[in-house]
Amino acid sequence: MSTNEEHFHWPPSDPKVVKEELISSTKRGGGFIKKSIWVLSLLSILGIVGLLGKLFLESNDQTQWGYIAAILAFILSTASGAPMVAVAPLIAKANWARPISRIAHIIGVVGIVNIIIMIPLLWVLPPLVVEGARRRSIWFEAPNYSPHFWDTLSLIMLAIVGVALLYSSALPDFATIRDNSSGTKKRIAGFLARGFVGSTVQWSTLRMRIGMMSTFYFFTLIFVHTLISIDLSLSMVPGWRDAIYPMAHAMGGIQGGIASVIIVAWIVRKYFGYENYITINQFWALGRLMFAASLMWIYFFYSAFIVFWYGRSMSDTAWLDLLIRGPMMYVFILGMLFSFIFPWWWLIWNKVRNSVNGPFYGAILAILGVFFERVRLYVPAWSVDPSLIHDKWLKVIPKTLFPDIWDILVLVGAVSSVFLIVMIVSRIVPFIGVWEIQQFNLLAKPVKYIKAHGVRVAKPD
Amino acid sequence: MKSLLGLYLDPNDAANAMDGLKEGGFEVGTFDVLTGTPYPEGAFGEHVPQHRLFRFPAFGAIIGFSLSLFLTTATQLAYPLITGGKPILSIFAMLIIMYEMTMLSAVIFSVIGIIFESRLPNIAPGVYDPRITEGYIGVVISVEDSDLNKAKKILEKSGSEEIKEA
Repeated sequence: MSTNEEHFHWPPSDPKVVKEELISSTKRGGGFIKKSIWVLSLLSILGIVGLLGKLFLESNDQTQWGYIAAILAFILSTASGAPMVAVAPLIAKANWARPISRIAHIIGVVGIVNIIIMIPLLWVLPPLVVEGARRRSIWFEAPNYSPHFWDTLSLIMLAIVGVALLYSSALPDFATIRDNSSGTKKRIAGFLARGFVGSTVQWSTLRMRIGMMSTFYFFTLIFVHTLISIDLSLSMVPGWRDAIYPMAHAMGGIQGGIASVIIVAWIVRKYFGYENYITINQFWALGRLMFAASLMWIYFFYSAFIVFWYGRSMSDTAWLDLLIRGPMMYVFILGMLFSFIFPWWWLIWNKVRNSVNGPFYGAILAILGVFFERVRLYVPAWSVDPSLIHDKWLKVIPKTLFPDIWDILVLVGAVSSVFLIVMIVSRIVPFIGVWEIQQFNLLAKPVKYIKAHGVRVAKPD
Repeated sequence: MKSLLGLYLDPNDAANAMDGLKEGGFEVGTFDVLTGTPYPEGAFGEHVPQHRLFRFPAFGAIIGFSLSLFLTTATQLAYPLITGGKPILSIFAMLIIMYEMTMLSAVIFSVIGIIFESRLPNIAPGVYDPRITEGYIGVVISVEDSDLNKAKKILEKSGSEEIKEA
């Protein structure tokens, strides 16, 4: 229960008004959206040009590909982490997440971007065995190109589950759009709705399919983080042995996912006029999750760091020289500041968390932190001389590698393509689930206790 | 065989219609409630069908696991290279592939299961009204021509705003 007047914003109770207001998000901003789609498409093409340029000019030099691997890990850790924001509250039956769960699902369909970036990386990722020596990895005696095949397949699987999750949750809304639009949109929605009429069996299976797909997404995401973090960074550095690293990588991905949802929710709320749907309650809850994720980040980092710091073996010292005080020392400092210090110090204040803008600024800080962290981890790992990759520990620390024009193009293109996909999907899928808000209204009622406002929520499932 | 759809604004009226049809001797399963919102199960006294959705991922997982076990075991046994005196079957590397193939197969079978169990695509959706997405509740029944008037009366009596026939 909340006594704060600001928390007392509520979606309209009339289902017809809710339907019209939410479906309108697929039509709003016609001219602006079209221009944006054109600009983002051009920038995405530039990204592909960057990938091709890199592939044709630098495919014989593995050490130049660290930024591309970092960009892949960055998209995986931000956009692909977003659906977790809808998955966790669903498991906990939390009502507050209903208005933002669709946003999380929409961001999650950008898995295709990772697959595109992975394709050229397959050319430069070294096989497990070179000149008779096998590098240390999780693949033990597996065939030479196991990481190439299984990592790509895992990214494809994540993309499939992301699309299936969005489709599952959006199916009833396709039926609503089919019944309330005309022309091409009606035809597309009709095709996607597959004859959904809201019968008992259809609603009953809806609950189950969203639950199942959410579970699959969680299992797949964690698995993909494990594979990508080990195959594209840890196993590239001789002597880097860290059992916590895949978990820390996944944790950074959840932090990035929360930040992505906060940013998109803030934009949708502000520019689509959904103040009554996405309220301070959602930002308050997301701000707390964000704060917890920042604390988890430092916990995982320190748990790994203390072992290397105290161990002081040759390989431990090499790890410190490469990833902490070496070529990416300034990026490490930036990563520490933006992943933990700034978001922690910002979100520690209840007044900041308990606002709409506070968590948004915290999310921007955290997303920058995720980027710096991925650069810090992947660029030095790929900079290691390939002839040293099978050594017991790293004896030659590579120099700082700065991004070239192709890296910058790929970064711009990858981020643009994420926004492009979100924008294109939002033309047919409402940013806020119509049926989820109708259910929100059905199950939750604003009540007044003497002078305080509160919400009474039913949890019948 | 005809389909009737009674439209209700008040959910209580729709629940009364469902009770009326049950009391009127109509077989459970021939009538259902259509809503634009997922009401709690059983809110209208409707028959909640048992679905077998969980069987699809389980079946898919078993197939994926079996295939991956066969793939990893057969390939290693086909080329039995002993490295450093270690066993030929490298269990921990196999686990990664087994997990991935199990998950992938479970996901694919779940998608198929969802389509199948949701009765989608619904090629002949029968009588329907778009106002259901505006908060109206539909009570739909399939009846023989001889029972048409009886069903209509029950829907009217329970306070339907409109009755559609197809």
